[in-house]
Amino acid sequence: MASVAGTAFAVSVRPPRRLQQVSNHLSGLKSVSFTSQRKSFVSIRSAPRFRISCAAKPETLEKVCSIVKKQLALAENALVTGESTFVQLGADSLDTVEVVMGLEEEFGISVEEENAQTIQTVQDAADMIEILLEKKNAA
Amino acid sequence: MLPSNLVARRLVPFALPSLPSAPLPSPREAHLWCVKPDELKDASLLQEYMKILSPCEKENVLSVKGEVLQKCALLSRVLVRTTLARCLWIEGLSSGCLFHARLDTDYRINPRSFKFKKNRFGKPEVEWQHNDVSFLPSLQFNVSHTSSLIACGITVNDPIGIDVEEKQRRPNADVLSLASRYFSPPEVQYLKSLVDSDSQKIEFIKLWTLKEAYVKALGRGFSGAPFRKFTIRFETRGDLVSEKLKTGEFRIAVEPVSDHETLTANWQFALAEITGSHFAAICMGIDENDTGKEHDLLKLKVWKTLPYMEDECLSDSEAVIKISGLS
Repeated sequence: MASVAGTAFAVSVRPPRRLQQVSNHLSGLKSVSFTSQRKSFVSIRSAPRFRISCAAKPETLEKVCSIVKKQLALAENALVTGESTFVQLGADSLDTVEVVMGLEEEFGISVEEENAQTIQTVQDAADMIEILLEKKNAA
Repeated sequence: MLPSNLVARRLVPFALPSLPSAPLPSPREAHLWCVKPDELKDASLLQEYMKILSPCEKENVLSVKGEVLQKCALLSRVLVRTTLARCLWIEGLSSGCLFHARLDTDYRINPRSFKFKKNRFGKPEVEWQHNDVSFLPSLQFNVSHTSSLIACGITVNDPIGIDVEEKQRRPNADVLSLASRYFSPPEVQYLKSLVDSDSQKIEFIKLWTLKEAYVKALGRGFSGAPFRKFTIRFETRGDLVSEKLKTGEFRIAVEPVSDHETLTANWQFALAEITGSHFAAICMGIDENDTGKEHDLLKLKVWKTLPYMEDECLSDSEAVIKISGLS
């Protein structure tokens, strides 16, 4: 309910028609937008990281989460998001390497060893895959 | 933060007893201190452990998801701090110095008092305080953990890297694929020469821990020492050994594959089995001034501990089985 002093408009938000959660184009950021009939919206952002990079499609991220859960033997409903770091999920370096190999097989790509070792979050992995897929399709 | 499976004590003030001291590692000797997270069952003890951590460490521990992992993260920090503090108590006393701010009333170094930093590649190190430098030995340390064992290796002066792994660990992926992808060609050949697929998996895990220990000892991060660029060799009298290792007499050495600036060969390795459940690989820097043959085999002492509660020396018992590289 933001109001800007000194101007004649106020932003009012009626009960939103639809609450959208948009996993957006900038990795690490989540935004929630409320849409009202007046088409004005307030967006709330959280998360400290901001990267301008080729961001992974939601399907890619989902596949990565699924492969990670399988490798780490996590429950299907375990909370794994783009922001989860491998360390926080309890993965050691052997787990990470196996996840990378699993991703290579799943997506038909090849990850350089040096790049594999810089992956810290699930989103990092998904973004890297997206870049490699684009390169592969462009070739 | 109280994990559900811990027993809560009655509301009686719980004070930690004194931390027993421990000997300093001798020159060219590594000490390994181990904790089994399953042995931490007391909620009050866990609370006391949290008090040993710095605010930043506490925050990191609390950000870890899941009780077991959180406990491991906590014990990891507690183990480092208490291990360093134990050795320095004796040293501090014998050198007759008083570091007032660092000591508890009975002249023990307070584990809380250590500060840590990372070298430019991210390897954690002690940040010695201004007054410490002249009096305290330069303790080097490295930590490794699995969900069932956490280990901290320490030396005086020599860079150290360690890695521990469950003996039962079997990679999900095919080990020859993993090795072809990540290990050096001689190592792949060694694994291929093993007839039994379970032996292949076990030897893969052993090689993995030794390679990890080397990378961690170098302290340059994984990009500074890609696994494919160096070979771990088991040698006896300079020959490459292809049969399964049986005694502790073999020397383990590292050989960089190509002329690599950052990959050096002056390192000692050891591999041991701990409490029948884990492999521990230790990599220690060899002082270039030391040319004697006696440093072909690494000296190692091992303890199991629940800090402040219980210490058990495991060296020279069945709980430590030398696999390779150990005197």
